[in-house]
Amino acid sequence: MSWGPCFFYYECPSCGKKFKYATDMIPVFGPDFGNCPKCETAGSFLKEGARTPDDMDFEEVSD
Amino acid sequence: MAKKTIITVATTGAWPKKENNPNVPMTPAEIVEDVYACWKAGAAIAHLHMRDDEGNGTMDKNKFRETVDLLREKYPECDIILNLTTSGDIYASDETRQIHLKEIKPEMASYDCGSMNWMHSALFLNTPAFLTELGNNMQEWGVKPEIEAFDPGMIANAAYYLKKGVLKAPLHFQFCMGCANGIPGNMKNLVFMKETMESLCPGSTWSCFGVGHCALEMLYGAVAMGGHIRVGMEDNVMYAKGQLAESNVQFVERAARVIREFGNDVATPAEARQILGLN
Repeated sequence: MSWGPCFFYYECPSCGKKFKYATDMIPVFGPDFGNCPKCETAGSFLKEGARTPDDMDFEEVSD
Repeated sequence: MAKKTIITVATTGAWPKKENNPNVPMTPAEIVEDVYACWKAGAAIAHLHMRDDEGNGTMDKNKFRETVDLLREKYPECDIILNLTTSGDIYASDETRQIHLKEIKPEMASYDCGSMNWMHSALFLNTPAFLTELGNNMQEWGVKPEIEAFDPGMIANAAYYLKKGVLKAPLHFQFCMGCANGIPGNMKNLVFMKETMESLCPGSTWSCFGVGHCALEMLYGAVAMGGHIRVGMEDNVMYAKGQLAESNVQFVERAARVIREFGNDVATPAEARQILGLN
């Protein structure tokens, strides 16, 4: 059984962009994990977990 | 002679819903059509989860029965190996998690060889009592365990149950890579899982899958290292970055391409039965 990736969901306090990071990418992004992919501002944490029904509203940040 | 590589398709899982990808098969009828199409594309094993009428994961034996009966009635020529989950609802009782195996007697079923924190939010319990009972029952019912290992400790646990006679050699492992709270999915860790298995349970066969971004790395790695592979929307609803999967067939077709381009053959269900020692 798997539930797919576990995500941290964020909203950018500067530009309002919604985005998410898979938690297994923490070692890849290091201190940049959670930053807005558009303006690089640290995102405001909203929620965590497997994909939620509104998942598609959040851009997935990947390397 | 080319090596045969087995493709398992995990069509549905317990989590993704239509909102995440409208192509996830949820009902027995949808799952049956999907399994049949994946079989035609090269899948030798179908790992099946069920959903209730609200789309949540369930271990309702009637859903399993309905799906298996429909597949056999509608597509009698489909000889795909059925591998039914025993972990489709982390709140199900020990009895509910295995009663469908007793009644349906599939050729395979999952055997999650240890407990873990699940997605940082719940306990995924596979107690010693449950694993002992399930292993003994699977032997009695003629169901081969697919030992799901989310970390190396679960391989060591399988070795323990092998010595105890709860599991019977040759074992078949499914390395579950990149799940939250499990071993991260990368090549170094896949090599370590394989070497741990060979050290503790020599003579075993293995397969693997990766969730999320490590999916392709695990696919290529498994083929290169002589393992078998699992694909499907249980583990990934995205086919590529920013691209929703159109179907489980899409994953199976890609896996088949990788296998063939590597120089292996895609194992038929009959060949998979031989590799896995199924009767």
